[in-house]
Amino acid sequence: MDPDVSGTHLQELRRGTVVLACLVVLRTPDYGYSLLERLNELGFAVDANTLYPLLRRLESQGLLSSDWNTDQARPRKFYSTSDAGNELAAVLIADWGNLHRSITNLDEGEAR
Amino acid sequence: MTTLTDRYIWAVTRSVPEQQRSDIERELRASIDDDIEARGGDIATAERETLLALGDPDRLAASYAQRPAMLIGPKYFFDYVRLLRVLYAIVLPITVVAVAAAHVIARDGIGEIIGGSIVAGITIGAHLGFWTTLVFAVIERTDAARTAPLTEWKPESLPQIPDRRAGTGLAELIPAVVFLPFFAGAIVWQQLSSVFQDAAGAPVPLLRPELWSFWIPYTFVLIALELVFAVVLYRLQRWTWPMAIVNVLLNLAFMIPATWLVLQDRVFNPVFTAELGFPDGLGAAVLAPVMVLVFLGAGIGDAADGIVKARRASLASR
Repeated sequence: MDPDVSGTHLQELRRGTVVLACLVVLRTPDYGYSLLERLNELGFAVDANTLYPLLRRLESQGLLSSDWNTDQARPRKFYSTSDAGNELAAVLIADWGNLHRSITNLDEGEAR
Repeated sequence: MTTLTDRYIWAVTRSVPEQQRSDIERELRASIDDDIEARGGDIATAERETLLALGDPDRLAASYAQRPAMLIGPKYFFDYVRLLRVLYAIVLPITVVAVAAAHVIARDGIGEIIGGSIVAGITIGAHLGFWTTLVFAVIERTDAARTAPLTEWKPESLPQIPDRRAGTGLAELIPAVVFLPFFAGAIVWQQLSSVFQDAAGAPVPLLRPELWSFWIPYTFVLIALELVFAVVLYRLQRWTWPMAIVNVLLNLAFMIPATWLVLQDRVFNPVFTAELGFPDGLGAAVLAPVMVLVFLGAGIGDAADGIVKARRASLASR
């Protein structure tokens, strides 16, 4: 298998899962760098230069809300999933489940 | 002292919308500092690695501002290509011919006519490409809410499948668009500027000046009709019987008067043929049969070509 080809297809398949992961993870408020670390630990490979603009985009769409925390020495912008974000997350998760079932059925059907 | 981080943040935030600038600046600085701290070790090395991981600041800024990282995106690309194709296939040849005609009317020499037309062609070509690209790049950047292309596609706008034998395309249109005005220009040019001058220094035209009272204007009208015909034929994409008949009539309308005038020796200026070195009357005796053969051959050939192609097209569509 050509690693370039499989790499592109994997990237396309994973596109969009970062948004869903953010919406779920940010049910607990978090700030940019910490979220980046957590996502990578959880197995969602995402770059800083993708994640930071994405957070602001989701915020401008009303899916995340934000708050500056200036209690510590370094002021940080904390993001958390809004009600609209939770609704979208539920829709995306349901769709993910459907896709998973469809793919599984398809795969098992083919194997027979 | 300004650090690499300061410079990086400045490079990113200078091109994001002003109302977001300070917020992005604060957040980005915190993120970079967090990253440097987490990497540990030598601060200068950690800073370098952090900034390298964030990558080109222009790219990050475009991502923050949700600006397209391309000149013309897939949304408008095909509108853009289609427009350019029309401009280069139709507007460019017409304007170049118009420039050549202007040089002819200004009584310029042949070198100036050719040179001027080539320069005009390159300049106009560059302008057409540049301004079209600029307009599309601006639309790409201003009309972010639009999701559909500029022109709506409908099944009716599908092209006709060109029939290789009966088809007609640019290969037939472009010679007509280029040579017909060139022919008209040549008629004007021979009157205004000739290779021979008379005693007073005025140019000696090749064609008899009295032809201007009717037959030359008549020829201009025919040339205009031929141009219209060529464009209509191109739009139809194929020969039809009515088009073949009109083509025969147009050819007859030129062939018959031209042959008659040549046989009566009413075409060439005797002063000109004398300058060429033909004794009186010989010009007509030598030139006339050649001209008649050329007129009849070209006219009948073209008329027959239309009929044959119309027949093929009607057979093919059955």
